[in-house]
Amino acid sequence: MASSGKGKDLHQTLPDSGGMDELLEVLGYKVRSTDMADVAQKLEQLEMVMGEDGILQLSDTVHYNPSDLSGWVQSMLSELNSNASDIVLPGESSSTTMIDFSNNKEIDGQQQQGTKLYDDDPYDLRAIAGGAIYGTTAEESPVSRNGIKRMKSGVAGSEAVVAPPESPKPVVLVDSQEAGIRLVHTLMACAEAVQQDNMKLADALVKHVGLLAASQAGAMGKVATYFAGALAQRIYKIYPQDGLETSCWEILQMHFYESCPYLKFAHFTANQAILEAFAGASRVHVVDFSLNQGMQWPALMQALALRADGPPAFRLTGIGPPQPDNTDALQQVGWKLAQLADTIGVEFEFRGFVANSLADIDAGMLDIRSSEVEVVAVNSVFELHRLLARPGAVEKVLDSINAMKPKIVTLVEQESNHNGAVFLDRFNEALHYYSTMFDSLESSALSQPISQDLVMSEVYLGRQICNVVACEGTDRVERHETLSQWRTRMNSAGFDPVHLGSNAFKQASMLLALFAGGDGYRVEENDGCLMLGWHTRPLIATSAWKPMET
Amino acid sequence: MVQIHEYNDEKNVGSFCINDNMDLLIEVLKRVDGRSLSTAACVCRQWCSIVRNDSLWEHLCFRHVSPPPVGVRPVVSALGGYRRLYMVCVRPVLSRLKRRRIGGGGESEVVTRVWNQHEVELSLSLFCVEYYERLLVGGGRGGATAGDSTASSLKFLCKPVNV
Repeated sequence: MASSGKGKDLHQTLPDSGGMDELLEVLGYKVRSTDMADVAQKLEQLEMVMGEDGILQLSDTVHYNPSDLSGWVQSMLSELNSNASDIVLPGESSSTTMIDFSNNKEIDGQQQQGTKLYDDDPYDLRAIAGGAIYGTTAEESPVSRNGIKRMKSGVAGSEAVVAPPESPKPVVLVDSQEAGIRLVHTLMACAEAVQQDNMKLADALVKHVGLLAASQAGAMGKVATYFAGALAQRIYKIYPQDGLETSCWEILQMHFYESCPYLKFAHFTANQAILEAFAGASRVHVVDFSLNQGMQWPALMQALALRADGPPAFRLTGIGPPQPDNTDALQQVGWKLAQLADTIGVEFEFRGFVANSLADIDAGMLDIRSSEVEVVAVNSVFELHRLLARPGAVEKVLDSINAMKPKIVTLVEQESNHNGAVFLDRFNEALHYYSTMFDSLESSALSQPISQDLVMSEVYLGRQICNVVACEGTDRVERHETLSQWRTRMNSAGFDPVHLGSNAFKQASMLLALFAGGDGYRVEENDGCLMLGWHTRPLIATSAWKPMET
Repeated sequence: MVQIHEYNDEKNVGSFCINDNMDLLIEVLKRVDGRSLSTAACVCRQWCSIVRNDSLWEHLCFRHVSPPPVGVRPVVSALGGYRRLYMVCVRPVLSRLKRRRIGGGGESEVVTRVWNQHEVELSLSLFCVEYYERLLVGGGRGGATAGDSTASSLKFLCKPVNV
């Protein structure tokens, strides 16, 4: 018989071997020479399928007669195919007896991937591949009739196999070497489905994500679980109540404070700016928009106490949300701070204001004394972005800040745009941002056993994720924006930037060096502002402002 | 390395007991490192009471700071004293920063390093934060034995660095 097909050239069939390949026959396998290419391909497919989690899907079926390699591979593949919902084989020649569960709806040409969604087939995983795997249609080359063209997509480690269009079983085999990549793609596809209001597909995909995430260890799995949960809430329209556990929020934030350097960085850099602004003043007043447990102020008070010319009289006005059990949490914090102040010898005065929103406060309420008497600083750590949920609120607050005539305004915000108009953009930004955050938490966990702090920090971030993804309108308060966006806003509200000095930078760098896993954290200076990031990605930004000279 | 003899014979010019020369002892202790100082406290009751004197620990903390910070003493004393400052902040900060810089330098090198002002400020700030946290918790965290329980915000200093 004449040799045909790929890989056949080296194998001569002997007349008496009955058409079987000679070399394999020596090993005990009977494979027809004509089938060699076919069997090779199928073995490859089998390997791909089993390499992932296919091995888990094998039932107890016994596959007989492996010496008939062709038939054996066949039966293995069909068994695996009937179990695996997301592995589909490309259509081939009619000699195969594959179970076809693919959607027989045609894809006319390859252009449809990623954009056309078949809403009555939950297993149509073309949607998963979407634009992410396929990229542009220009990548696809014409497929030959006999073979299957393999395409390398832009994503590392994954290959997509596209069936020839004229085959009656057109489907896609997506193989990721990394389950994590598949996870991300599924998440993004689900978000895309939500964006397009295709809730049935989104529902199926989100369940799939849940399964994938559960089998993924580490930061990626955790992030994916939170995002999947948030997507599910969005799909089923179960919106979490925001003001539900304010005191829980503060406790979570405390754990977040303890387990990673972000809040400490925020406090230390803001304090440095405030300290420098207070130089030479004998009476100072800080208005804190984000009092929480008051963790920022001990360090400032200590620095003031050790000033060369002695400590000033320190007045603190703290603003906080109402507590569900009507306890006066602000006063308790004020009392503790007063004890500390007494210990270190700083004259201290405290006032607390309970407000649902910062926009409810105006300068007149705060008993701002004249600037000859008292120097004022306004401080906001991760608070101002909440005002963006209501139109006009942030402008009102910035105006009242201006009315307080502060010497300095310190602003710390998350460095990411989670306030875009398009849901999908927000989703992608948030996915990237929180993945990086969880990564950094993960690395600090490597040097210690899983602690309560870590778990609580993840819950803390998870609540933010939920808000960004699942909520809308005034409920969506985690409207983070980037430093450049805040710069524009502050400029138009009448503030000039104040450069954070090298002292702040040095202190921040030193602080980070103390953290285990600190190699990944980076402090960057950005035109007078300081940013803390994980590897190359900035995560939070501190900036300082003063009212424009009029 | 100091031998304590039974001092019976006053005419024995050669024998010497450090316990009779407290000033000398203090001068010596002012120059040793933290670990030796802690060990010295275990020698005998007299030494223990000397070592508990906070000024020795003050020397230890700020021995290598140039210039030594002014007005720090009342603040530090109020927040718990120099011994606590050393145990809770200074020692871990120094060893963590030292390790990071050289990547595993020996413990003996830690003390000879010169602090700079920023490290001092940072340690003091962290110390103050720790005091405040203990206030917040109300001192009820597992028995408030001095120097024993570290508030959580400084736990990151206690964790071993994964080299």
